[in-house]
Amino acid sequence: MSTINLQEVFDASLDQSDISAASRSLRNEAMVSFHETGFPSRKHESWRYTDLKPIVSGGFDPSPQPINSQQEKKATQEIEKSILDSKALRLVFINGKLSTNNTFPNEFNGLSISKKTESYKSIDVLQGKELFKDYPLAALNTAFSQHETLIMLDEGIQITKPLHLIHINSGTEPTAIQPKIAIDIGTESELTIVQHYIGSNPEPSWTNSVTLINQNKGSLLKLYRFQEYHHEQFHTELLKSRLSNNAELKLGYVDLGGKLVRNDVHIDLAEPGAACSIDGVFLAMNGQHIDNHTLIEHSAPSTTSQESFRGIIGEHGRGVFKGKVVVHRDAQGADAQQSSDNLLLSEHGEIDAKPELEIYTDDVKCSHGTTVGELDLEQLFYLCSRGVNKTTAKGLLTFAFANTILQRIEVPEVRKRAASSIAGELPDYQNWGGLL
Amino acid sequence: MNNTNLLQVSDLHVEVEDRTILNGLNLDVAPGELHAIMGPNGSGKSTLAQVLAGRDKFEVTSGSIQFKGSDLLSLEPEERAREGLFLGFQYPVEIPGVNNAYLLKAALNAKRAVNGEQEVDAFEFMKLIKDKMELMQISTDFLNRSVNEGFSGGEKKRNEILQMLMLEPQLAVLDETDSGLDVDALKVVATGINTLRSPERATILITHYQRLLELVVPDYVHVLYDGRVVKSGNKELANTLDERGYDWVKIETENK
Repeated sequence: MSTINLQEVFDASLDQSDISAASRSLRNEAMVSFHETGFPSRKHESWRYTDLKPIVSGGFDPSPQPINSQQEKKATQEIEKSILDSKALRLVFINGKLSTNNTFPNEFNGLSISKKTESYKSIDVLQGKELFKDYPLAALNTAFSQHETLIMLDEGIQITKPLHLIHINSGTEPTAIQPKIAIDIGTESELTIVQHYIGSNPEPSWTNSVTLINQNKGSLLKLYRFQEYHHEQFHTELLKSRLSNNAELKLGYVDLGGKLVRNDVHIDLAEPGAACSIDGVFLAMNGQHIDNHTLIEHSAPSTTSQESFRGIIGEHGRGVFKGKVVVHRDAQGADAQQSSDNLLLSEHGEIDAKPELEIYTDDVKCSHGTTVGELDLEQLFYLCSRGVNKTTAKGLLTFAFANTILQRIEVPEVRKRAASSIAGELPDYQNWGGLL
Repeated sequence: MNNTNLLQVSDLHVEVEDRTILNGLNLDVAPGELHAIMGPNGSGKSTLAQVLAGRDKFEVTSGSIQFKGSDLLSLEPEERAREGLFLGFQYPVEIPGVNNAYLLKAALNAKRAVNGEQEVDAFEFMKLIKDKMELMQISTDFLNRSVNEGFSGGEKKRNEILQMLMLEPQLAVLDETDSGLDVDALKVVATGINTLRSPERATILITHYQRLLELVVPDYVHVLYDGRVVKSGNKELANTLDERGYDWVKIETENK
């Protein structure tokens, strides 16, 4: 699909009368920006290792027809199969649109879910010209997103039960789905969200997702993003977040499926004491390409960030990791720890991992480390010295490499599903899977 | 060769990175015996333990090791374990992400497969391990913890002995299992070792200190120096070494 076609589709999609002036203006701005930038190409530094050609030339319709009842039924059946916690509060998005098939009451203990039609200051400062220029795919998302969902949690409320957002693509044609979620967490409030991307549809489609988060003072958000598509799916995503005084964001990223996946994370630790952690695991097996790009900005004093990504790269798999941390001039006492560890299971796999630190102040504590390697021989010998088969020992150690990060996921249903899915994809699973 | 020996190490020479560590070592161990191997730092004690278990960074340049009448050196580490050899590590390896339960089940199943037995199920596993964990004073939540990760020195050593009790080896080689233990933990470890002593099994205890040997009484004590056994005796030798150190053995050896 070329940008000229996109413009026509875009104009047609704006031809509906029920679009608010605010939304119309934002979408126009996004489209103008995308028209200027076009799709990111490998000439851009941050897209050096990831080629969007299969998406650009894939003919994905960015403004697909609403799904019919039969498709909805099929999607619902599939959701039933992949559901992590049948008792959880749950929002279902079918092809990016909030479905009626939800277990969510309109109002729950100060948590409200609505369609965002008007401008909303704390979210809208996160988007606009600059964002659209830095992240052209987010501009594309905004231009075509017809169903922006706003999740708001009032002040002083702790909700321990996780809210599950289930995204499924269910088309018979190659479609481009543009889920857009805005999250605003009130002062001293606490929420856990599971973003679950599923779809066993072998028909390729492209999900281009944007999540915008504003966290007010002292709030805590745990967000576990768990992607387990069919191996033919394409996924690109931006999560952008701003944290106020002493707010804390805990992110978990698990990517198991998809043919081509690119995740961007941009976190602004905007006020003193703000803290974030990102724990990521990805599996790039046969022909999969998984790219994680993170940018953490320490903009205020005493902000902390901790980031660990682990990748397992199999036969002809390809992993990319770039973790950039910027410590701005005012961020005295910042603490930024980052690591990226990668396990290559085959000489035909490839990983490009690169940390990047920019520090503009003194009195900071920063560390980063990248490893690419094979299994630890001391550990292998220890297991074998107990009589354990080499293949079993290798399987257990490969699993353990990912499991160390998975253990940090505080929603047991996500942790267990991710662990068993990863185990099932690893070599010689039949020899050792029974032990888990 | 002497067919009554469980282990027969003959004229063993071992190198690592072109450095000779073991230099003509001989050692015979018969069923039912407990041998203590002592010696100054760097004399080759841990190397002997690792070579017996099959660590491949050590190169055996000459000599032989027979275990139950067969060539031990031709076996992979996992085959040696299944034949009934166990190494208690001086520094047990931490394996984040692998639960103790996974390891113990994998180890038990490997041994059972050799004997043509069925894999252990969850119920049977718990039945097997419960008493042994009590004996080693290890709480049950430990089964879901990663192998040795975040364990204290004492917990690591008790975990080694627990694994030994589960696997019931014919020959246990315990490499400084007593180092870093307080008096109470030492007693627990000693109880574990004594529990498994029987006329069919044998133990090699590598130790620096005589205090474990008061709780686990050896049949033989050997002094390893410069990669060879230079002196052997009974438990009295351990007492003498405790009082007088190793210098007199070194002098005696060098004057020969």
